Amino acid sequence: MAETKVIMPQMGESIFEGTLTKWLKKPGDKIERDEALFEISTDKVDSEIPSPASGVLQEILVKEGQTVQINTVVAIIGDGSGKASAASPAAKTETKPTPAATVAAPARTDAAPVSDEERMPTSPLVRRLAKEHNIDLAVLAGKGTGINGRITKDDILSYIENSGRSGSGTAKKSPLPTPAPMTFSGETERAPMTAMRKSIAEHMMASRRTSAHVTTFFEIDCSRIMQAREKLKAEFETSGVHLTITPFFVQAVVRALRKFPIVNASIDGDSIVYKRGINIGIAVSLDGGLIVPVVKNAAEKNLQGLAHAINDLGERARTKKLTPDDVKDGTFTITNPGVYGALTGTPIINQPQVAIMGMGGIKKRAVVIDDAIAIRPIIVLSLSFDHRLIDGALADQFMADIQKQLETWQG
Amino acid sequence: MNAKTVDPHTLGTGQRPALPPKETQLKILYFMKVVRELENRIERKLYRQGKIVGGVYVGRGQEAIAVGSCIDLRADDVVCPSHRDMGAFLIRGMSLRTIIAQYMGKKTGATKGKDSNMHMGSLEHNLVAFISMLGDSIPVAAGIGLSFKMRGQDRVVVCSFGDGATSRGDWHEGLNMASVMKCPVVFVCNNNQYAYSTPLERQMAVENVADRAPAYGMPGEIVDGNDVLAVWDASQRAITYARGGHGPSLIECKTFRMTGHSAHDDAGYVPQELFDYWETRDPIRRLERTLIQQNALTDAGIAEMQKGIHQEIDEAIAIAEKDPYPDPEDCLRDVYFEE
Amino acid sequence: MALTTYVDAIRQGISEEMERDDNVFVLGEDVGIYGGAFKVTHGLLEKFGETRVIDTPISESAIIGAAIGAAMMGLRPIAEMQFADFISCAFDQITNFAAKCRYRWGAGIPIVVRAPSGGGIHGGPFHSQNPEMHFVHTPGLKVVCPSTAYDAKGLLKAAIRDADPVIYFEHKYLYRRIKEELPTGDFVVPIGKAALRRKGSDISVITYGAMVYVALDAAKELEKEGIDIEVLDLRSLLPFDREAVLETVKRTNKVILLHEDTRIGGFAGELAAVISEEAFDYLDGPIRRITAPDTPVPFSPPMEEYFLPQVSDVLRVARELHAY
Repeated sequence: MAETKVIMPQMGESIFEGTLTKWLKKPGDKIERDEALFEISTDKVDSEIPSPASGVLQEILVKEGQTVQINTVVAIIGDGSGKASAASPAAKTETKPTPAATVAAPARTDAAPVSDEERMPTSPLVRRLAKEHNIDLAVLAGKGTGINGRITKDDILSYIENSGRSGSGTAKKSPLPTPAPMTFSGETERAPMTAMRKSIAEHMMASRRTSAHVTTFFEIDCSRIMQAREKLKAEFETSGVHLTITPFFVQAVVRALRKFPIVNASIDGDSIVYKRGINIGIAVSLDGGLIVPVVKNAAEKNLQGLAHAINDLGERARTKKLTPDDVKDGTFTITNPGVYGALTGTPIINQPQVAIMGMGGIKKRAVVIDDAIAIRPIIVLSLSFDHRLIDGALADQFMADIQKQLETWQG
Repeated sequence: MNAKTVDPHTLGTGQRPALPPKETQLKILYFMKVVRELENRIERKLYRQGKIVGGVYVGRGQEAIAVGSCIDLRADDVVCPSHRDMGAFLIRGMSLRTIIAQYMGKKTGATKGKDSNMHMGSLEHNLVAFISMLGDSIPVAAGIGLSFKMRGQDRVVVCSFGDGATSRGDWHEGLNMASVMKCPVVFVCNNNQYAYSTPLERQMAVENVADRAPAYGMPGEIVDGNDVLAVWDASQRAITYARGGHGPSLIECKTFRMTGHSAHDDAGYVPQELFDYWETRDPIRRLERTLIQQNALTDAGIAEMQKGIHQEIDEAIAIAEKDPYPDPEDCLRDVYFEE
Repeated sequence: MALTTYVDAIRQGISEEMERDDNVFVLGEDVGIYGGAFKVTHGLLEKFGETRVIDTPISESAIIGAAIGAAMMGLRPIAEMQFADFISCAFDQITNFAAKCRYRWGAGIPIVVRAPSGGGIHGGPFHSQNPEMHFVHTPGLKVVCPSTAYDAKGLLKAAIRDADPVIYFEHKYLYRRIKEELPTGDFVVPIGKAALRRKGSDISVITYGAMVYVALDAAKELEKEGIDIEVLDLRSLLPFDREAVLETVKRTNKVILLHEDTRIGGFAGELAAVISEEAFDYLDGPIRRITAPDTPVPFSPPMEEYFLPQVSDVLRVARELHAY
């Protein structure tokens, strides 16, 4: 017959210990199942405990007066033949630890936090994408476009897209450096940028970073071309062409570019790319931004042809009827800061061109001619040029040629 | 005696109660004795041997109520017992082994280990498992009765509860609704005069639970809860009343709780005189005496019945002890309908 | 097909199910003669009779208890709580009796508890609550919150046919404001499946109930700013459509959790945990919540407006999240 362990019972749901108050049998006594074996006392009740089995009380493990946890083995009942089981040292009365006594295991630590200098604010998604594409996020350090310079999903996706392209000159789209976040202690109201505005912003910054901008200024006496315009106006009108003063300037620029082809070129890495055709972009102001439709092959057009082309492009720009072809492949750009009365301007080069001319407002001024004061219509022309390619001397020669053409215009 | 006692001979309808046939009376005795012996084993032996954990609530001294009210129900009637109605479970057909395994938390128990002690039910046996929030079963019983009405069935519900449960809001809502809707429910109150340590005078301001019956527009009757034949008689009349479509009624069985509230409560707050007084009115011995007086039974017959009951219970315990515990992961099963 | 309001859709659902199955019946306060406080059960008493459309005493606990008892015997009760706010009176019967019967003793309790929930009607603290989380937190129950007339009808049918207790929160603000063309014939919306209301690429807004419309209105505004919002309508809270939630987050990588319920212990907390546990590597920004504050529902209109999440809240949070 196997041994039966007699346990301290749980007399009540909240009870977790009991005191053995009295043994009703002693070791060696015979005992019947269900016969009273010992007495206990708990917080709730005193009770007589019946034996769970018949046999002989072999060993008492808990003494009278001792308080033990519930389920503690208090005695062993055997069949009377065996000795006390060898494995019953005092350790047997060891009780299960109560939950309160268990020391809470230390929390598992996360991966060591990155120090502030190394810290690259980003997101789980970005980290996963970086891992999947074997990108060290350090290449995007300082280049995040999210709040506070966070590297965003778009940042890493652009990087992934562009890192496959050839690493040369104008084709490479380098990620923009982030400006410091704007702070202001007064009340503000946020409005998101339109797509056009975002595009202009990017283009302007890119241009500034690409070219070594220098601007030179020339005053032109417009009296000659204004007289010419008066004379030709009616004639052009019969062909349905409205003649403004602009085509005169475009014509002069075109002729000057033929003489100074480097001003019509582009830079590609270490090469100078000279372009055969001369395509003059004319900047048009629209609400919320500007657009630059291009007069293609301007060198092949006479004054009337230029006037016609300029008018047509301007009209279609304002009625939003320009095609993609109308706005690409310009080689030189003319802009008009004088349209609202500015004296002149310092325009930003329209990449990948190397020069841009700004036309100020035409104003009657007192000038000195042959040591006498005369009144003449004067315009200030500005030329912003890329000093990587064009030196100041050449720029001035280019402009001097334009000046001469306009002031001695004959056709 | 400084505690309130109730002499049932001064109450009741005044009519001489009807009696069940002798075979039924013997059956009644048998079930009361099984309940007594089973609960003794559960509370005084198995629990103290650590073979049962959790709470244990027995109905010692109150056996007459469940047995008397349920013995003559139809199989398609429904019973909503409470925690001291072991007799209801046995009469409706739940086995001793299933009940003992239930207490032991075994896989073969009535709830497969999901719930403890008397929280058992079985739709197959038309037994509704109560919940610990006693009183909740009263509106449920009303709803069961409502379903019989709606389907035009002449089935009835017997809904049992203690004096304490009658203080709960659900008890009042349920009685009211059952009465308004004329549901075929027999409400049986086991007024054993103590709810845990709370005696009746701290539980209610009226003297009798049955005093509330007219407040809810239903007949109420007080019976001697220790006279099983009187309980039988009142129950039969109430069952007939309900089955006839007249609606619910309330039977209050006056009795006494001969134990603590649970196995770990020694009821030290109950004056010993009450235990002594009610011991003399033990329902089982009372029926035995009656049957012997009428020559329907002998002492030897009683002893033999007792022996047979012991054997049945011994066998059931032996099987249940060997039954396995549920797989721990079974705790995840049957939260929702599973195909 | 006819233009059907949300409230009419619910009534149709009840009526059609009562026609289909004799075991289905309705009980609650003022549901019979009066047709229900919101007229949801209008006409049903005349159609089905007082045996199947039962006016009860004011006894939420007994209403649910009786429904439980009837369901145990094989009937299919639809118990109405006049306002979801009163469901607390029956909390015990729902969470301790109905929710646990199958688990404990294999007895399925196929009841439907209909509860008009939500604010925006100047109802104050006891006529505006969204108490769904008490029941989402109770295993054994199912909880649904339709936002469209189609779903109101389809989910109600699913609830009635379900073998387990379903708490059906109908949003009272939507009753007569939502009108849709509903198909004729029987249709059921499965419990536990979300619906994508608007496909988008920038931010997912996950929501339910009346807030679905707040999300959609905000999405129209945000489209003008170039922010493309995806709106997922959960429809069911217990069980909820885990796959759909994870799928939308994985698609847009930014998520806003929006509900009319208060903040602490609201469903957004549960979703945020699930998203963080199961879609962490897909997040390009923190999970944002837009909820009511942790207060009872105030009455005075300017306070209630402040309390309820508005389109402007969604705009603000979406813009912040988009720029993150």
